[in-house]
Amino acid sequence: MPTITIDGEKYQVDGEQNLLSTCLTLGLNVPYFCWHPEMGSVGACRQCAMMEYKDSEDQHGRLIMSCMTPIRDGGIYSVKDEVAEEFRGSIIEDLMTNHPHDCPVCEEGGECHLQDMTEMSGHTMRRYRGTKRTHRNQYLGPFINHEMNRCITCYRCVRFYNDYAGGEDLQALGRNHQVYFGRQEEGRLENGFSGNLVEVCPTGVFTDKTFSSHFVRKWDLQTAPSVCEHCAVGCNTAPGARESGNSNEPILRRITNLYHHDINGYFLCDRGRFGYEYINSATRIQNVLSVRQEDVISSTAEKGDRMHREINPQEAVLHLAEQIAMANQGKRNLIGIGSPRTSLENNYALRKLVGSGNFYSGLSQKDQELLHLVSTIQQDDRIQSPSTPEIENADAILILGEDIYNTAPRISLAVRQAARNRQKQQAKSLKIPLWQDSSVRQLEGDYSPIIFAGTELSNLEKITSNTLFESPEKVASFACNLALAISDPTSLSPDLEPSLLELITHTAGILRGSSKPLIISGTSSKHADTLKSVAQVATVLSDYKKQPTMLYLACDEVNSLGLIQFFNDGKGNLDELLERLKKNTDNQIPTSLMILENDLYRRLDKKSLEQLLSQADEIILLDTLLNPTSKRADWIFPASVTAESQGTFINNNGLAQRFYAVYEGKGFIQESWRWLMDAVNFCTEKPANLSAIAEWQHSTDLSDAIAREFPVLKALDSLGPDEDFRIDGLKVARQSARYSGRTAIHAEKQVSENPPLQDPDAPMSFSMEGIHNPNRSPLQANIWSPGWNSNQSIFKFQEEVGGERRGGPSGIRIERPQRVMPEWPAPSTPPEVAADPSHVQMLPLYRLFGSEELSNQAMGISEVIEAPFVMVNHIDAKAFDIHQRELIELETSCGTYRAEVRISPTIPSGTVGIPYGLPDFETLSPLLPGYASLRPAEAPAITED
Amino acid sequence: MLTNPLTKNVTDQNVAADLGRYLENGGYRGWRKAHTMAPDKIIEQVKDGGLRGRGGAGFNTGLKWSFVPRGEGSPEQKFIVCNADEMEPGTFKDRLLMERDPHLLLEGMAIAAYAIGASIGYIFIRGEYHLAAERLENAIAEAREQGFLGSNIFDSKFSLEIFVHRSAGNYICGEETALLNALEGRRAIPRAKPPFPQVSGLWGKPTVVNNVETFCNIPHLIELGVDWYRGLGRGEDAGSKVFGVSGKVNNPGTWELPMGTPIREIIEKHAGGMQDGLELRGFLPGGGSTDFLGPEHLDLPMDYDVIGKAGSRMGTGTIIVLDNQTCPVGLVLNLSQFFARESCGWCTPCRDGLPWVVKILQRIEDGEGLPEDLDLLREQCQRIGPGKTFCALAPGAAEPLQSALKLFEQDFIDHIENHCCPYE
Repeated sequence: MPTITIDGEKYQVDGEQNLLSTCLTLGLNVPYFCWHPEMGSVGACRQCAMMEYKDSEDQHGRLIMSCMTPIRDGGIYSVKDEVAEEFRGSIIEDLMTNHPHDCPVCEEGGECHLQDMTEMSGHTMRRYRGTKRTHRNQYLGPFINHEMNRCITCYRCVRFYNDYAGGEDLQALGRNHQVYFGRQEEGRLENGFSGNLVEVCPTGVFTDKTFSSHFVRKWDLQTAPSVCEHCAVGCNTAPGARESGNSNEPILRRITNLYHHDINGYFLCDRGRFGYEYINSATRIQNVLSVRQEDVISSTAEKGDRMHREINPQEAVLHLAEQIAMANQGKRNLIGIGSPRTSLENNYALRKLVGSGNFYSGLSQKDQELLHLVSTIQQDDRIQSPSTPEIENADAILILGEDIYNTAPRISLAVRQAARNRQKQQAKSLKIPLWQDSSVRQLEGDYSPIIFAGTELSNLEKITSNTLFESPEKVASFACNLALAISDPTSLSPDLEPSLLELITHTAGILRGSSKPLIISGTSSKHADTLKSVAQVATVLSDYKKQPTMLYLACDEVNSLGLIQFFNDGKGNLDELLERLKKNTDNQIPTSLMILENDLYRRLDKKSLEQLLSQADEIILLDTLLNPTSKRADWIFPASVTAESQGTFINNNGLAQRFYAVYEGKGFIQESWRWLMDAVNFCTEKPANLSAIAEWQHSTDLSDAIAREFPVLKALDSLGPDEDFRIDGLKVARQSARYSGRTAIHAEKQVSENPPLQDPDAPMSFSMEGIHNPNRSPLQANIWSPGWNSNQSIFKFQEEVGGERRGGPSGIRIERPQRVMPEWPAPSTPPEVAADPSHVQMLPLYRLFGSEELSNQAMGISEVIEAPFVMVNHIDAKAFDIHQRELIELETSCGTYRAEVRISPTIPSGTVGIPYGLPDFETLSPLLPGYASLRPAEAPAITED
Repeated sequence: MLTNPLTKNVTDQNVAADLGRYLENGGYRGWRKAHTMAPDKIIEQVKDGGLRGRGGAGFNTGLKWSFVPRGEGSPEQKFIVCNADEMEPGTFKDRLLMERDPHLLLEGMAIAAYAIGASIGYIFIRGEYHLAAERLENAIAEAREQGFLGSNIFDSKFSLEIFVHRSAGNYICGEETALLNALEGRRAIPRAKPPFPQVSGLWGKPTVVNNVETFCNIPHLIELGVDWYRGLGRGEDAGSKVFGVSGKVNNPGTWELPMGTPIREIIEKHAGGMQDGLELRGFLPGGGSTDFLGPEHLDLPMDYDVIGKAGSRMGTGTIIVLDNQTCPVGLVLNLSQFFARESCGWCTPCRDGLPWVVKILQRIEDGEGLPEDLDLLREQCQRIGPGKTFCALAPGAAEPLQSALKLFEQDFIDHIENHCCPYE
């Protein structure tokens, strides 16, 4: 390791880093703007100037930009030198000639990197006497504000948006001090990572528009570490909440990135950042509801819809207690339906209450089988589930049947970085350090090979070397042949179509020849054969290379892989439940269905589901949002969302991660498991088998119980500290040391300060008291360090710049027993049939905005969700005589759906693409993939039938 | 002995030497000869000839070429690029060469392309140079027809296509890496170095970028040899050069003269001296981005290092003369406005410092300056000095200003004290 001297102190340092990040890693304060730990150096802002001395004799030194300076062994540098200090002040002074003095009304204020750096540079006097340049701002969509006058032209926004995230609709325009960062015309920023501009911009040019409508300063937000619930990648977030002016109860106000080295790094996708608004939406269940004893008569009501009224929670809990007691006496069937979108703890509680024989996954047979497959594949030691940095280092990538930009967005961003590995290799051979971002990017470097086979590929098409757009059956058959080609190229059938054969051989060659190949697939194509064939490719490749193959499998929901661990026997799906209930019809014992945070209309086709629900005598729902299932419920309990509760999710990598309550949910909202616990406690005679439930006090009691009961989930008992953990006798503070107005905020009701709420689950306070330093506890999610008020301060809490968070990464991989996966028979090759409008295969298409249940209720996101459509192959469209934007009817086994036609050259012939989970199309999702017939819509619809 | 290799085909008439006349005067002999030589020999000859880049930096051309990777494993595709983005204030030498003798440039480029193994050449030409672009395009057509360009030149394996690319504008395009970005259709901002263009230039391929005049030196240097070429210079530097003079002289213009010609000779003999009643107060020796020199420097020879030692740069060799009835503050203001406007906007000191400089100078010129403004200007000159900015644009902009603040300090003070411009 090289030794360098900075301001007289000797340090041993990592010679791979530039001088700036070396200084930051050492804890020295060097101001900067354009450099970014993930995006490297470009030398534009000149803020990070330091001095370099030739040798110890050199008295004058040379001014250098530390971000552009490689470490020289024995190098002598200075941060404090007067010349460097003066120069850094002069840069701020130059920047300030155009920066408005609007800090008091700027939403960046209080977490502004420009404020911090200005303070740090010591520039205080204004000498500039001229006018400031002004710009017009643009409408950039519902997520991002634009205030160009504040711009200091560091180029970080375009470097992130274009270079890093592959966006195309944000440019640096114009020249000199008039450079303008915007779109060619107003409109929504189309890239799905646009929200990161808010964090990447060192000042207030790009700010969070969803936050604007309920803005408070960073120091007034209380926060806790959380996990994004909008897909299964498991990105870490730092939600921020504060009391609202109306009810005095805290509301969730924004989501920011919480650095996790192995998952999200510095960046989130827009669904994860802006989806939180569902929590404050009008559809949020805030009270205990009970059905009114009359049928709904209205034009929009479906058969069986119920009307609800608010009731006293005690009444409802009492009722639930009665049900439990009756079930215990054998007078009632109590059946629990779990959910992949809530915590292990909530699922476990319901399972415990109803008993494992009465606990169902809440998934259709198909979906459960897919998840089971994922877990089985990941248990094989020839498979390795890669972290984000490992994905970024892959030198060849095969993506099969998964449109990751829409199903696991953060992973697609990692794939985009991997595409540059050839270029990075070239840089290495030219001895150009990889942090020299503009130098590396100007190298020729073709993209690393990325091969895609599937229905639809979004956002990554330009960096993909080969694409095969086919139905899942053909993708599976491609994968099967590929596996053959990898193990023995001569074994391929000569009957294969030449172009397909070429692609197979080419792909096999790429995978065999690469040193770090990566395969990505998942459950979204809802096709078991695809997963099985993918697994085969991965194992064959592993056998060939004598090393585990990196295989990333994306699941649908945040806790898919967690839920499935409760169902390792492969039983417990909704189809089975339906069969069971159908058989039960003669039985005189009534049945209660307890549904945990699950909209079953998205799981089972409408016909089957109606049948299932009609078999139940009572439906009890615990959930967060009103949805079609809630319309059928007799009792509805308001459940806390992720940000309001503590629990554990298991992500696509099998990483168990704990999330913590940021604030207490409004009114009667509480964790689903607490409702169940309350009900057990209300039972006059507590059934012995439920005594454990009655004793639960803390969320960790459940986590520990899970760990004891399920060896696979043993990790849960060591995931985080218990609630009685203390540091120097203190809890971790959720509120910053500067949290303001705590005596005033309740003043209309009470002048004295309310005692803070106690958190029974985590060693964290709902107050300012406690540990604030993130280095002392990973539970501290308010990333702040003296002088570093912005999110840039994260480096103070990393082992090194861009490294692990100090104290180690959060989350522990669950330990599934190593087991060789079975040899599945090769899927049969589908016969070629002519496309027929009366028999088209519907394939699911995913949308970043629109396919995920919860975020669809977020205000900003609901604005940008597309209208439902049916995507038709362009050749089929000609043959069927249907046209772009024409209204079409899709007749399915569960009714007719109407939507506009969208013609595509890539959607496979004989299939139609159906957007998954889009509003009005939710009930179509369980039918995918399936068959339907197409016909032009006759007359424009006046009323829905 | 040939003493004016660059302008021997230039006449009083504003026409381009067509291929016929070019060949009559010995055109393409250099190219024919070079074609029989080993590329290494050509590079060596250019290096030994001591030809230094005529765009202003004065780097040894042969040395620059020698950095291009050759042989096994080197990229097959290479590019030769001509920097014809002549936008330096006061500079109009390349225009003359391109408009009057376009084949000379093409011949120079062909030899260079052959030496480094490039099969495609681009002439990146200032957008306003319509006439030069047209004449170059005609010349390219002629040369292709006669087999001096195109495929399998002289029945060999060597092929070369040259394209004229008209710039969309911006002074920074004259910076060779910004030029490459502009050619690729990107924002014209300078690139980080390393990698240097010779290793990774246009579209990541090895690329040599030379100035128009530099290329024009090549054909005769190859044809007539190192000794002849070195002998052309009167001083330390080799070859001849197109010098120019603008300002209130009797005969502003351009002339091809030996390197090392004394400044006084250029201004007094060729430019006809100062106009009646005017005295020379100072001059910018090599275009708008060089330091002022005073009358005491008139006897210096125009050699790169001599002018450098005197505290300025020879730059493009086109002298701007300041007389005693022109306001130096106004002159510097005018230049600063140009540089501030043309800043690409990449780095802070240039982007935000230069507009501030302009505002201060404007204030002083308008009689609204404050005494502390002079310190502020001096400070700004420091901030935009070499090593502090991303490229050489801002340090170039600082040169006339910092030297004017020294040489003509009293003029600045007079503006401030009298609250008006004394020259009005």
